[in-house]
This record gives sequence, C-alpha cells and structure tokens, in this order.
Amino acid sequence: MTVTADTADTAAACAAVRAARPYDPADLSSKAFWARPAAEREKTFAELRAHRPVSWHRPVEERLFEDLNDQGFWAVTRHADLVEVTKRHEDFLSGEGIVFDSMPQELLDAGQGFIAMDPPRHTKIRRLLTSAFTPKQIRLIDDQIRANAREIVDAVAQRGEIDFVTEVAGLMPMHNICDMIGVPREQRAHVAHEAQFAGGWNDPELLDGAEPLGRLFLAMMNLGTVSAELIAARREHPEHDLMTNLVQAEVDGERLTDEEIISFFGLLSVAGNDTTRQSISHAMQALTDHPDQRAWLLEDFDGRIGTAVEEMVRWATPILTFRRTAARDCELNGVQITQGDKVVLFYASANWDTDVFDHPERFDLARHPNPHISFGGGGIHHCLGGQLARQQIKAIWRELLTRLPDIEVSGEMSRTTSTFFHGVNHLPVRFTPEQA
Amino acid sequence: MRIFWDEARCASLGMCEEVAPEAFEVGADGALVLLAPEPPESARALVVEAVAACPTGALRLEG
Repeated sequence: MTVTADTADTAAACAAVRAARPYDPADLSSKAFWARPAAEREKTFAELRAHRPVSWHRPVEERLFEDLNDQGFWAVTRHADLVEVTKRHEDFLSGEGIVFDSMPQELLDAGQGFIAMDPPRHTKIRRLLTSAFTPKQIRLIDDQIRANAREIVDAVAQRGEIDFVTEVAGLMPMHNICDMIGVPREQRAHVAHEAQFAGGWNDPELLDGAEPLGRLFLAMMNLGTVSAELIAARREHPEHDLMTNLVQAEVDGERLTDEEIISFFGLLSVAGNDTTRQSISHAMQALTDHPDQRAWLLEDFDGRIGTAVEEMVRWATPILTFRRTAARDCELNGVQITQGDKVVLFYASANWDTDVFDHPERFDLARHPNPHISFGGGGIHHCLGGQLARQQIKAIWRELLTRLPDIEVSGEMSRTTSTFFHGVNHLPVRFTPEQA
Repeated sequence: MRIFWDEARCASLGMCEEVAPEAFEVGADGALVLLAPEPPESARALVVEAVAACPTGALRLEG
C-alpha cells in the first residue's frame, strides 16, 4: 500500500485521539488477570457489562513483541454488542489480525488463513472449504467420528487412571480433523502439538524454556513443513480429502499458491484441535462438579445430548477472545470508535450475560434456547467447524458415559496460560476399569 | 412466497441450512442450492428464521 500524505495525516490524527483517551480502571491487561481462573475473571466482566460495556484498556502486559504502535484496545463484553461487532464486518476488520496481541506480519500471513481475511477474498476462499463442513457432510462422516471415539476409549478403558486431556480430549479432534485434511497418522501428534503454540505462546509448560516469539515461528514453520509435504503428495496422487480439494481449487481462474494452502492448513490445524479439546476437557470437569447434571443426561442420553452439547460448549467457551480493527470512525453502543482502534470481543463474558442467559453460573444441560456465542456471533467468520465439533462431542460422551459411567476428575486441572485459548493442559481422571 | 439468493454476498456459511434443511443446502462447490425456491406457506416461519439467520444478507424473501 502506498502511504500518501493524507493517510499518514489520518493515522497520526487517530493515534493522537487514542493517546488522549483514558484507560478504564478495570484490569483486563495484566498477566495476573489472565492467570486467574474463569470464575474470577467473570467478576471483572460482570462489572464491565453492567456499567461500561464498551471500555478502553491499556495493551496486554505480556506481549509477544514490543509494538510501539499498540496503544490499547476496546473491550466488548455484552452479548448484544459482541454479536453486532461480528456482523458489522465492514466497520470491524479481521485482516489486521485476530488476536489482541500484536503479531509480526509474517506470522499473520503464515498462520491465520482466511480467518484473518476480509471480503471479497475471504468469501471466495471460504467457499472452497465450506462444503466439507456442512451439516449434511458431517452426518456423512459420523461413522468415522464414532469409530475414532471408540478407538480412543478402547486404548484407555482398562487403565483406571489417565490424563484425560492428552489421552482422550486431545486425541478426538486430532484424529477427526486430520482424517478430513488427510494428515497421515504418524504425523498427527506432531501437528496437534505444534498447533497448540498458536494460542499457548505464553504457556510455560508448552514453551519448556523456549522464547515465545521464536517458538511460535518455529511452530508455524513445522506446520508448514508437514503441509508442504502433503501438498506435493496430493498433487502427485489425489485423494478424497481437504488437501486434495485445496491443491485442485481455483479462485478467479487461478490456483492457490503453496503459501496460501500452508496458511489454511495452519488455521485448520489450530481451529480443529484447540477448541474441541477444551470443550471436552471443561465438560469433564463440569460433569464431575455437577453429578445431578450427569445423572439427568444419562437417563436419556440420545434424547438429551443435543441441548447438553450446547451447554458444554457455552460452559467451556474454548476461545476467549478475538480481535477486530476499526476500518473507520464509527459508533458502538453509544461509544465513539476511531479508525484503527483495536476492538476485542470477550466471549466468556458474552456467554455469561444475564440479559441473555438465565442464571449463567448454572451448568444446565437442559438449557434451551441457548444462544451462546462460542462458535461466533453469526458474522462471516462464524465457526466453520461447529457441526463437526458438536458431532465429536456427542460421540465421545456417548462412548465414555456408556462404557466408563463413573469416570470423574481425580486431581487438579492444569490450565494453559493464554489470552486466546481457554486451554487445559492436563486433567487427571479415574474410573472403574472396563472388563476385558 | 419466493426466496432470492444473492451469490455475491453469500459466504456459504450454511446457517440457513442449519435452520431449514428442507429449503437450503450448501452444494459440493460451496454454492447455495435453493431446494424449494417457492416454499409452501406451512414452511413460512422456518424460512423466515433461516433468511434472518444469514449474517451477510444474501437471502431475501418476497411475498
């Protein structure tokens, strides 16, 4: 883009407006805030929803790199406002990044795929993939999803004590998304591990001593290597999978570049793994903490799992935040937004909004209607994999609760340090082993 | 009652299909297929809901 004197003047004027804007006294930016459990963070969100639903905050404390242009962000905490921002995609852009940390442009290009694109390109690209994720298509692969659930539970059923995250919740989405993309079995654990850095770049366990920005680059590079091999293999021998669709696809009469395909692979790997894993893990904790709800579900599993899945996904809110950037000066719920402002959507807050949910603090598997926004607020970036996630969650709980009905959490949940994923690293569980 | 689809606005989200699978289906090429462009009056409530669910405004109902 050519920077003219005009646009430079506008940018400077907008920066001056931001510099003069006072920060809200509520803390959403400190490392300490993000280290707290969700129930603690909710106290701050409740105050903001009630009194200052659109509020301006200082940049996050623990940053990936020093971005001198980062002057802060708007926090959108109410359900109605989150839905509105999501639908006003011409005012609130995704192309400048979708996490509220600033990221180097190379990372944005490499790892975020079409989730960080705006129309018209977004529309064309998304159409290439969407047909694989429609309700009908997901029903067609249900046998495969159920077989994966069976295999995962087969492997642990006689053990009695396991780490639920690494041996169940993480494996379910890993196998299903890899089946769809076409990733060979021997590379799946590697792909799932590297994908975790996309939201876990501040997590000490995951980093294991590495420096965050460097490790995140390495993770994207590693995903790129797997992807490049797969691209070459599918060009040589087409299969019935998403990777084959991508290498054969044309947009405006042109094939996608390898860089674009690698970027979509990164997005599918992250979005496919690190969301459903959290939903299943948080549901395990919730079913342990609320035995009445588990009993209610088990009385009529097939009749009740539909509403139960929606409540599990609301309760987990696997993605905590997404960001937009204001395309122009505009208004949101009476607040003046300036061109270039970062606008951050707080999903857990919207999922606890008492204007929409009766007693949101109750884990209520019969909740209906349940207009949670865990899959998004209904805009053009609405979760592509929502039906896939639902089908997987149903399949794994059907398998677990019928075969290991007394499975329960037996120790402390170890959470991922992240402003992006509501992640769970480990969750010890125990159960009566299944008879061989 | 007639459904109109604006291809340029459609992002193939399939949210209409989630609400009213009898009337809408995202096809294999990602384009929307109107299974019932002139749905029966009995389906009105569902079709109205499906049209309203479209976040890009690609669906319109006349009559």
